[in-house]
This record gives sequence, C-alpha cells and structure tokens, in this order.
Amino acid sequence: MKRYIKLLGVIIKYSLMSVMEYRINFAAGVLVESGWMIIKLLYVAIVYKAGVSIGILTPDHIMLFVGIYTLMTGIYMLYYGNFSSLPAMVQRGELDLYIVKPVSLQFYMTMRRLDFSLLAPDFVAGIVLIVIGWKRAGLPVGFVEVGGFVFFLITGSLLTYSMFLLPYLLCFWTLSVGGIGDITAALWDFNNMPSAIYGKWMQRIGTFILPVFVITNFPGLFLMGELSAGLILWGALVPVLVFLIVRCVWKRAIRNYSSASS
Amino acid sequence: MSIRVEHLKKDFSFYKKDMGIRGSLHNIFHREMLVKSAVKDISFFVEEGEMTGFIGPNGAGKTTTLKMLSGILHPSGGTVDINGFVPWERKNDFKRQISIVMGQKNQLWWDLPASDSFYLNKCIFGVEDKAYRDVVEELAELLDVKELVNVQVRRLSLGERMKMEVMAALIHRPKILFLDEPTIGLDILSQQKLREFLKYYNEQWKTTVIITSHYMADIQALCDRAVIINQGQLVYDGKLNDINRFFGEKRLVSIKTAETVAGEQWETFGRVREMNPRGAVLEVPRDKTREILASVMAALPVEDFTVTEVPLEESIARYYQKTG
Repeated sequence: MKRYIKLLGVIIKYSLMSVMEYRINFAAGVLVESGWMIIKLLYVAIVYKAGVSIGILTPDHIMLFVGIYTLMTGIYMLYYGNFSSLPAMVQRGELDLYIVKPVSLQFYMTMRRLDFSLLAPDFVAGIVLIVIGWKRAGLPVGFVEVGGFVFFLITGSLLTYSMFLLPYLLCFWTLSVGGIGDITAALWDFNNMPSAIYGKWMQRIGTFILPVFVITNFPGLFLMGELSAGLILWGALVPVLVFLIVRCVWKRAIRNYSSASS
Repeated sequence: MSIRVEHLKKDFSFYKKDMGIRGSLHNIFHREMLVKSAVKDISFFVEEGEMTGFIGPNGAGKTTTLKMLSGILHPSGGTVDINGFVPWERKNDFKRQISIVMGQKNQLWWDLPASDSFYLNKCIFGVEDKAYRDVVEELAELLDVKELVNVQVRRLSLGERMKMEVMAALIHRPKILFLDEPTIGLDILSQQKLREFLKYYNEQWKTTVIITSHYMADIQALCDRAVIINQGQLVYDGKLNDINRFFGEKRLVSIKTAETVAGEQWETFGRVREMNPRGAVLEVPRDKTREILASVMAALPVEDFTVTEVPLEESIARYYQKTG
C-alpha cells in the first residue's frame, strides 16, 4: 500500500511536470473545461431565478448537489483519459511493457497519467458551490456530518472509478468501444441535477441497478438526514461490490489480451 | 536463470474478411473464425548467462515466443519453466528478475527526461537508492549518454532513445533480458554501439539474454548460439558457426549503370540474379564484396549501387535444401 501511495505521488508529480511542458495546451484544457462548467452552472442560475424547489430540495440544496456533481466530475476527469485511451492501447498491443512490471496492472493502466487541466476548474468550482450551498441551506457542520459527507465522496469516487471502467474493459474482447464510451458519458450526465427530478422508477434503477445516483446524491442526502440506515449501508457497500466485480473482469480481460504483432 | 521450454504452442483466432464493403457487410451478420498457429510445438533450453539469438523472417513466431517467455501472452499449449516460475502466472517475484525491450514500443515518458522514467522504474521495482544511483551511473557511462539522461525524451534521436529504453529496462538488474528487434530502424553506428554494450553487459553481469532480430549482423555479433524459427517451427538450434555458411555468407550487390550494359558482361563478376539493360543484382561472396565492387566500378559506368544481405527466408530455404 505504501509503495502504491509513493507511486501515485510520483505519477502526480510527473503529470504536473508534463503539463508544464505545454503551457498553451494546459490553458486551453482549463478554458474548455471551464466552458462546460459554466453551462452547467446556468442550470443553477435558472433554478434560482425561477425559485424552483424539487420535492424537499430548495434552490440552495440544488446548488449543493450541483457542487458535488461538479467536484466528482473533476475527480473523474483526473484519470478519465486513461480509461478512454485503453481501447487504443489494447488494439496496438501497448500493454506489453506494463504487464511485465511488478505492480498491479489495473492500478498502473488506470492511473498512468493524471490530467490536472480538467481537474482544476471543476475542483475549485465544485468546492465553492458546496460551501455556499451548504451554508445557505443552513445544514449542520458537525463532526458526523462532515465525516459522513467526506466518506460518501470517497465511496462515490470509488464507485465512479469501478462503474465507469467496466464498459471500457469490453475492449479486450471487442477491441473497439467508441459507442459504449458515449453511453457512459451520457450516464454520467444523469447526475447533472439531483435524482429527485426523475420519477420514482428511474430513481430506483439509478440507485440499485445502475447505481449512478449513489455517486453524487448520497453525500448531499446524508447531510440532509434523508438517507435511511439501509441506504447508508447500500452507499457504503455498493462501491466495494462494484470494485470487486471490476477486479474480476479486469483479471479475465487481461487473460484475453492478445497483444499485437510488431 | 535458465529457461526450459517444452512443446510451446500459440494459436491466434481471427475472422476472415473479404475485400470491400460487401465483405464488411457480410461480416456484420456472419463471421467465419479462423485459427492461425503462430508457434507450433517449440522446445529448447537456455542456460544461465547464455546469449541466444532467435532468427527468422517476419511473422515466423519469434516475437510471439518471446512474449510467452516474458509472461505477456498465455500459450495455447506447452510449458515454460524459468527457475521454477511459469511466466504467464505473472508473479511479482518473477517480474523482478526479467526485463523486455521492444524495438517498436517504448515505456519512457515522452515529455520528461529519461532520468524521470528511470526513477519511476526504481519505485516500481523497489530498487535501493544506492543501487539505483550506481546502476544509472554505470549504464550512462557505458552507453555514453551521461549528458542526455536529463534531456526530454522527445528531443532525442531514435538511437539515443533506444539506449534510454535499454537503460530503463536494466534499472533493476534483471537476470534475464529479452530483446525484441532492439536495433530496428537504427543507423549502422547506433546498431554497432548497442551491440557492443549488450555484449559487454552480458559478460559482466552474466545476464541470460534472448534476442530476436532479422538482422543477421545482430546475431553474429552477439550470440554463439542461434535458434532459427520459421513458420512457427524451430528449424535449427545450435552453434552459430555451423549455420554461418548458409546465413550471411553471401551478399547481394544491386548496381545501376548510366549506360546500357550487355548481359554477358555481368557474368564475369558473379552469379547474376536479376538483370535489365541498365543494371543487375549480383550474388557475391561476403569476403569478396569490396574487391568485386571495385572491379565492377572500374569496368562499367556505375551510377549507383547498394549492398544487402540475402533475405532470411531464402537462406532458410537453402539451409533446408542442403541438409535435406
């Protein structure tokens, strides 16, 4: 574990160093991601302007939820490039030199490069929205609340990693997964707004079958005291469960790796 | 570390695709699976510290064999025992003792100096600080790249980059080194430098080395033993000296002339393999190449010439014929 933390530290350092080699590209990345973010912030602005409440969620709560979504997007975007480049690497047999290293291949392939130009704007805006939303909604700031909130952010991140890696692993069998990549991106955007805007059945599917709502809704719902004991347990267990599934699929996928002629 | 390979096989399945859009449309609904045997029942033994050359034409199965020995690929059959390890089980203890360099693939961070990639490998392999400093210093000295380890990889030439790839592969002092076409694309001087280094390193550290190449020169410079693979089968395993008369004994000299030259004139210089009014391809003994070339230049209006080796496929065919 200590070795992996050290490795991650080196990868973070090298990713930052690489980014600094191309300043204009970094600035362009920040700009593009900021543009996307502004579009998403417009939703919040509209909600405020219209003074809409969704069920028990006031515009302040909605701001909190959008903040969580923005922050989680930033964290996902940090390593997303490794997922999307996986099919091409499998196709070209570029895993060869990584397979022979005494380190978890899954860890290395999915954390190989980290993109800070995509993380930066989402991270900053996400935290700002969370802090403002939290304060304006008058939610408590105790040890349990903050601890639980951070806990669900961490489990949500683990769930994001596992759930969104899974479709890309299909590339070991099919080589090309472009269409699947697009579907997962659309799935992620379901979290644009709190799950409360969807109907009951959609909410159930998004919580229990394709647990995408767990990722960004649970930290906020926990804070509002809206998570039952069962849901808290589910929120803690489902990331571990999906992670175990992705581990198994990864191991099978690697067995299927056929390299490429050189 | 020794390597024992018994009845190793590898089949790849793929599907047939007919030409054009019709073939593609047909493929959507019906795919005919085909199986290609890349490696068919290969057995051999490599002793510790030995330097063995895998020779064979493109697509012979050399790289596939190497990938199975290093654990990258699972075989379809057969066994490999490397000091008690089965490579494709991919145990970390095994991985710490091997390394692979592939001429057409790279592991270095493109935008950073190679020294940063070396450090990452140090962390991955858990090399001690002092051992790491020693190995980097020694290798940089031997490969004559002391000034270059701190230059971004993207600014290096292909030859320099390959040296860095080799360095990165040796940071953990592997006991077995697999080299897959390490000199591909390099100029003659870089090829020579790399060969000199590999020879020295093998002698110094008693590292077991398996090298694949379709340049005979690589194998001749480095290995005492050659394993010839053709169409997935092992066709020769033994001393390099014994097969030298089939491989690399002859050279092909292609000559272009400024004026038309009569056919019989070419025959005085060597065996004519191809001919046209303004040129010919001659097959000449390796040790007489210079001499013959000089007399051709003196006698004929030569415009241009190139000297190449006899294609490996042809040498293998000749080897088959002579040995029955």
